[in-house]
Amino acid sequence: MTDERTAPACAIPGTRLAAASAGINACVHCGFCLQACPTYIALGDENDSPRGRIYLMRALVEGELTLEDPSVHTHIDRCLGCRACETACPSGVPYGALLEATRATLGEAKRPPLRARLILALFARRRLMRCVVGAARLVRATGLPKLLSRLPGDLGFAFAMLAASESPLSRGRASGADQLRGDGSRGTFALLRGCVMEGLFTRANRATERTLIANDYTLVLAPDQHCCGALHAHAGDLDTARALARRNIAAFEKSGAEYVVTNAAGCGALLKEYAHLLADDAAWAARAADLSVRVRDVSELLAAAGPRAGAPLGYRVTYDAPCHLQHAQRVATAPLAALDAIPGLERVALVDSDQCCGSAGIYNLLEPALSAAVLAPKLVHIERTGAALVATGNPGCLMQIGAGLLRTGQSARTIHPVELLDASYAAQQRTRP
Amino acid sequence: MGLHTGTHSRASGPPPERAVGERVALIDTEALAAKLAAIVGERGVLARSSELATYSSDGLPGYRLRPRLAVFPTTKQQLIDIVRLLAREHCPFVARGAGTGLSAGALASGDAVVIGLNRFNHILRIDPVNRLAVVEPGAVNVTLTRAAGAHGLHYAPDPSSQTACTIGGNVAENSGGPHCLKYGVTLNHVIALEVILASGDVVTLGNADGEVEGYDVLGAFIGSEGCFGIALEVTVKLTPNPQGVRTLLADFMSIDAGARATSAIIAAGILPAALEMMDGPTIRAVEASIYAAGYPADADAVLLIELDGLGAGLDADVRLVQQHCLTAGARTVRIAANEEERARLWQGRKKAFGAMGRIAPDLVVQDAVIPRTKLPDVLRVIAAIAAKWEIQVCNVFHAGDGNLHPNIGYDSRNADESRRVGMAMRDIMQACIAAGGTITGEHGIGLDKLEYMPLIFSPESLAAQCALRDAFDPERRANPGKVVPLHSCREWMRA
Repeated sequence: MTDERTAPACAIPGTRLAAASAGINACVHCGFCLQACPTYIALGDENDSPRGRIYLMRALVEGELTLEDPSVHTHIDRCLGCRACETACPSGVPYGALLEATRATLGEAKRPPLRARLILALFARRRLMRCVVGAARLVRATGLPKLLSRLPGDLGFAFAMLAASESPLSRGRASGADQLRGDGSRGTFALLRGCVMEGLFTRANRATERTLIANDYTLVLAPDQHCCGALHAHAGDLDTARALARRNIAAFEKSGAEYVVTNAAGCGALLKEYAHLLADDAAWAARAADLSVRVRDVSELLAAAGPRAGAPLGYRVTYDAPCHLQHAQRVATAPLAALDAIPGLERVALVDSDQCCGSAGIYNLLEPALSAAVLAPKLVHIERTGAALVATGNPGCLMQIGAGLLRTGQSARTIHPVELLDASYAAQQRTRP
Repeated sequence: MGLHTGTHSRASGPPPERAVGERVALIDTEALAAKLAAIVGERGVLARSSELATYSSDGLPGYRLRPRLAVFPTTKQQLIDIVRLLAREHCPFVARGAGTGLSAGALASGDAVVIGLNRFNHILRIDPVNRLAVVEPGAVNVTLTRAAGAHGLHYAPDPSSQTACTIGGNVAENSGGPHCLKYGVTLNHVIALEVILASGDVVTLGNADGEVEGYDVLGAFIGSEGCFGIALEVTVKLTPNPQGVRTLLADFMSIDAGARATSAIIAAGILPAALEMMDGPTIRAVEASIYAAGYPADADAVLLIELDGLGAGLDADVRLVQQHCLTAGARTVRIAANEEERARLWQGRKKAFGAMGRIAPDLVVQDAVIPRTKLPDVLRVIAAIAAKWEIQVCNVFHAGDGNLHPNIGYDSRNADESRRVGMAMRDIMQACIAAGGTITGEHGIGLDKLEYMPLIFSPESLAAQCALRDAFDPERRANPGKVVPLHSCREWMRA
């Protein structure tokens, strides 16, 4: 072997990356991940591909590159964390875990940008976050964001995101009176309400509760819950993520629910990984593992129940898979089952529906140009479907794609799949004698 | 030179007249980066050592060579300007597509510049009437098949890396793939190339009619591993999708039985579209992965056999193949019930190489060809070699055409194990050659197999290859140090 490598000692002992570095060894450089990676496709630089980033991680561990190297920060920062490479990787490289460990390790060498720290600090403060989201709702109600979405640049895009968070279905359809109720035999669930979901997608949250109740599940409350910590974990702030995880574990334990349900793919992915996040915490590891196995995306519970069919809705709909549902949670067909329970719905396939939209948590706020480049082909594919609605189960994707549609003048709107199923059930109740 | 068939444009400036091997004063790297950036823009050049690190390896871990610079053209004119600039500066270069090659052929050492072609990747034209397509070299193999699908056509060469590898890289390596058993390799599907030679001259080889006039220079270029120049445009044949396809999975309790079935099928005069074998360790690595295909995990070998063609008669062939497998000792022979199951069976096979990372952190993939009739013997010898050097060999290969791919997982941090792997590789090569085979089927020589070249070629043959290379690139700046061992060329120069 003309291998230049000698047995390398770890150059960064004691770091989180060093602890996770066994995962790097699974990579055999086959390159099958390249075309799965949105940033590689957009930029054409192997440093911005999964294989290239794994090479950079290996170079940090082996001391070929240092933690202060600006190029390493650039290319690791540019990763969307969509984890599409994981569902392309034959060797099972735990890329998401490696990315978090790398970001945590790099974060100790150089703090993340102020914008990121402010956003993360906001999400970790429940009351403040509620105030901010509440204010955003008030602004949205004025109708101004839709007008201001035409402004150029990041500001216009931010307003477009806010405008896009509004449900495209007309208001006040479903009320307590026309609630379809099952027999509750499928077990109890508590909903992770989510910071953005409860504030800006309130209808989707209520639709989640109603559709599950209609499919024989029983709602229980978990009032002490917090932000899930996903944004913190992805940014490498694992300490805050763990603190939030402990609070949520306690809150959901107290609720006694059999299932912890999320309708936000990013939150669900992290809840399912609490076991991994707290694996080294002797006091919490078992509790975290117990919680993680009880977490379900709403679509999983619906699919397990059938779900029951509703009344016809005459929309042309296409489905875009949130990365953290498709690649991180590996839930691919359940959301389609929810849509297919609606008679009359015309579901058309979306090309590259498993590719990231560029939202990626707060990525679109930190790397707006690259985020827009990743979004652009998605919008073209959506236009070709001729769909009036794009169904996707994650707040970031709903706002990112919705904003893109608004700003490119397309009439299609984004919607959470459960809202459609809920509307279908509501229509069924109304037409009953 | 007899190369200038068809259209031909000459690089400006006097042609470099230099003796081979003469040292030339090289331009300062920073100045070169600036000149390259003037052609492609700042974003098209990588100059930082830390950003070039990623480009120091390709699909074959185990080699690391850091290039001097990397440059990424997006248009034909940019690529031409780059090559001409490098010609003026007497700078060696290495073309790289997706870096999925398995012979370290896309690595650039010391003073060489990597020309990354992955951003020069459009499908320029699909002509369904004449069943051909014109693509830029960085186009990814599978995107061409997807684009042609609308017309009921596909691009037949399908290397296992087809979801990532580029057509330009396929041309350089004369890539095969499972279906080349029936449909032929890249050479049989490329009908014309517009290429730029290292001198900066642009020439057209072959033509869209597929007729060869004079020497088959196109044939010489395909498989030249980037040593003869860089493709600017590739014209390929598209193949009609077969009317009917049947995919069978036969599992065996010994490799021997699988090899016997392979020989029996071919001897019966059946030409499957593909005939692939995987051994037990490979099956288990795949079944542990996201591409789990439903191969029986307790089997010692599976054959994946695809039959295609006209609907009539296909099922008769299927029954014959089934019979031959069962006679050879197959436990079961399963036929894919639908397109989904067929795709899953193929995904498992095509991603098998990548799944080897589950076995050990480092991997070498050997690539050798043997006469099909010697399959059982050579596989037994390989098993004995593995036992002798105490290493694990996983076999996954194109059984139908005798193209073996022994995969050896190891840990490069273990010096003794690395040494044993190296010895075993050499023994395997020698066993294949002794059986009447050769040292590569489709992965190329690159750096990895340089040392085996003298095992199959006489000094005179190697010198002849140097002479051919010099007809294309007398300065030897295109992918220097690959394919033919340098000393062979030096000896030839002295003669």
